Amino acid sequence: MKIDKERIELKKARFPAVISTAIACFLFWLLITGQLVMLLEGEPSWQVLVAGVLVSTGVALFSAKFFIHSNPFYIWHPKRLAAGLFYCICVFPWELIKANWDMARRAFSPKLPINPGIVKIPVELESDYGLMALANSITLTPGTITMEVTEQDGRNYFYVHWIDVTADGEEGTQAICGRMQKWLRRVWK
Amino acid sequence: MSELLFFAICFLALALTLCYRLWRGPSVADRAIAADCVDMLTDMALILFALYSHRGIFLDIALVTAVLGFIGSTFIAKYLEGKL
Amino acid sequence: MRYVIDALIVISLFFALAGVVGMLRMPDTFSRMQSATNITTLGVLGVIVGAILYTVFVLHNYEMTVKLAIIGVFYIVTNPISGHALAKGAYKHGVRPEKEMEVNRYEEDLGE
Repeated sequence: MKIDKERIELKKARFPAVISTAIACFLFWLLITGQLVMLLEGEPSWQVLVAGVLVSTGVALFSAKFFIHSNPFYIWHPKRLAAGLFYCICVFPWELIKANWDMARRAFSPKLPINPGIVKIPVELESDYGLMALANSITLTPGTITMEVTEQDGRNYFYVHWIDVTADGEEGTQAICGRMQKWLRRVWK
Repeated sequence: MSELLFFAICFLALALTLCYRLWRGPSVADRAIAADCVDMLTDMALILFALYSHRGIFLDIALVTAVLGFIGSTFIAKYLEGKL
Repeated sequence: MRYVIDALIVISLFFALAGVVGMLRMPDTFSRMQSATNITTLGVLGVIVGAILYTVFVLHNYEMTVKLAIIGVFYIVTNPISGHALAKGAYKHGVRPEKEMEVNRYEEDLGE
């Protein structure tokens, strides 16, 4: 029963999903073949462009159903795109530099002040992409590694290995990813 | 110009230092992480050498090395988890 | 501009050194993994940003710029995935720290 429902939803979202994936694939093709620079200088090679359109459409036909399940143009909303770009340019690098400096201080200090442990923190996000972005951000900041995502009673929980445990539960969420979660909530629900 | 080469040699020296962990790691996971980091530091040396010698072809090699390192460590992780 | 590029590469070298020292000194596998993230984030990104500035302002070779940007984005996207998979795999394989951890919620919930 559940499988049938998923199949119907896949069929519905199929054509816009293919187009959205194909645009992303074609942008990647432009970057990696070096055609973007030629396009800006006004001397593109048309054979390479046509081959890129064909190949990216073919790839998108096969792989769109793995990437997009509903609402393919969700991220292209200008407000969400602006929030995402601000997160990538300002919020996240600042957290990254702070955590890196903290970890380097721990590694160089002669007494090795670490206090490792695995805590379980609740998160507010619900969609797949939002959970993925938050888990990847937590893993990229040194000092914390996400180990698993689970769902209990309608809430999502992360198991996080933390180098210096000071809090657990809700306070742990605020200490580990308070600002990142606040900004990511504006991009994904 | 030659300071780029000096930095590349520094990165290679760090990679060689990390080979101690690769040789002496108590568990398989330690060795996998150390191998991943050695791969990355060598990649950085490769990028600096590409800048030094003005040849873009080394960047392609760096990209392929990055892809292979990611695939390798992910497969080792799946094997350790027992799902392969 | 040359001094900015040199400063970026020196910063990245410092963080890579911190990561290597941490990997050699830390007592257990998961703490070593945290130090390895130190190498794979700022130790990599400093060099890539410096190299992008170098190709734009010194070499004027924009194809190399695009390739460097692809390498940087690829590192940022794939590093947390392999780190997360390695941490989970090592835990499931039976790697435990020698000293008892402060809090271990994972073991409590995995046992039930």
